[in-house]
Amino acid sequence: MPLNIDIQQILLHLLNFVILFAVMYFVLYKPVKAFIDNRDRYFKEKEDETSKALEEATAAKDEYEAKLRGAAEEIKTMKAEAQKDVREDADKIRSDAKKEAKNILTTAKLKAEHDTEVMIKNANSEICELARQAAENFVITNTSDAYNSFIEAADAPDED
Amino acid sequence: MSKKRKIVSLAVFGGIIIALIVGIVATAPPAGAKEPINEVMKDAVLHETGRINLFGAVQVNPALVSAYIVTAILIVFAVIVRIFFIPRFTPIPGKFQYLLEKGVGLFTGLAKENSPHKTQFIGGYIFTAGAYIFFGTLFELFGFQAVTVSGHSIALPAPLADINGAIAMGFFSYGVILFGGLVNNGIKGMLHALKDFTLPVSMSFRLFGALLSGALVTELVYYYTLTSYVLPVIVGVMFTLLHALIQAYVLTMLVSIFYGESSEKKEKSEKAVKTKIKKEKRRKVS
Repeated sequence: MPLNIDIQQILLHLLNFVILFAVMYFVLYKPVKAFIDNRDRYFKEKEDETSKALEEATAAKDEYEAKLRGAAEEIKTMKAEAQKDVREDADKIRSDAKKEAKNILTTAKLKAEHDTEVMIKNANSEICELARQAAENFVITNTSDAYNSFIEAADAPDED
Repeated sequence: MSKKRKIVSLAVFGGIIIALIVGIVATAPPAGAKEPINEVMKDAVLHETGRINLFGAVQVNPALVSAYIVTAILIVFAVIVRIFFIPRFTPIPGKFQYLLEKGVGLFTGLAKENSPHKTQFIGGYIFTAGAYIFFGTLFELFGFQAVTVSGHSIALPAPLADINGAIAMGFFSYGVILFGGLVNNGIKGMLHALKDFTLPVSMSFRLFGALLSGALVTELVYYYTLTSYVLPVIVGVMFTLLHALIQAYVLTMLVSIFYGESSEKKEKSEKAVKTKIKKEKRRKVS
């Protein structure tokens, strides 16, 4: 044949290449590719897991941030309410204290008036007693002297 | 190193090289005894004279012996890798594992790029073809010697520097493309691939021509005494390496592209669907 083309040699080349292809495909290419694919799959799964975890973490972070924002507002409201309560309580206490002070004052005034009255009464009684006693003492003293004079006069001998 | 020492070293090396050149020129056979250039070229192309006895049964071109040796080396390498290295592969690859993965990944990527729907088989095929062309072409650099039937010594060429090897490779590749069309698209797919009937011829002759051109240039360079010093080291090695890379890339690329075309699932085009709808409407109206 022209150009030294030889069918038998072409077939021998083909046989050689088919054997090489079979061996290279099953012994080298397929196992190496399987290994690469498995590793890629493993890393892909890991990547997916990581992305999922990251998404979850981001969602949780957003949720917590929202909660924190809510909590800050809640704290603000609670603080305002507490301040209002405190103010109301303070007003109430102050008003109660005023009322109580007024009561105490009134009671004290009444008591003082009563005590004054009692004291005046007692003082009057004591004055009366003292006046009586003084009168009595005066009377007694004067009576005794008169009596003694009488007795002495009576005892004295008659000059006539 | 001092300047004086450098000059002395250069002078010594220069003297040795000149003495060797003179010796080689002086001991060269007379020009008349040399094989004419056209015979050298013809032999490099056709291998008509330098035949080798294969297993004592058939006389074959030396490239077939080269093909068998390259195949044996690749098979032994593959088996060793499969037994001793692949079971010890780690998720973080070492140097050798990285090299292997890179090789497999390169051809898998090529297959995915050109034949995205079917990659496994064609990836394996172009991996084998690429390795065979690349290492087969590099094989000629070693200049392994064989004895021809006439008793002469001959340097074994690249397997694909023989037209029979190139034809085998071209037709087998075409067979793979036809097979891809048949398996994935049935007879239609195979007929689609059959319309490119010139493909095996073009692939065969491209391979053969490219590899042969390198061999011819190297032969020419070696043939003339003046150009046979230093130059062949650059020209021969460079041409061989370039051919190894370029031809491995070209053939694998072409095969993967044609395989991708023939195995692609054909869907009805939008225009065809519209035409069908119009026809149905017309039929209903009439």
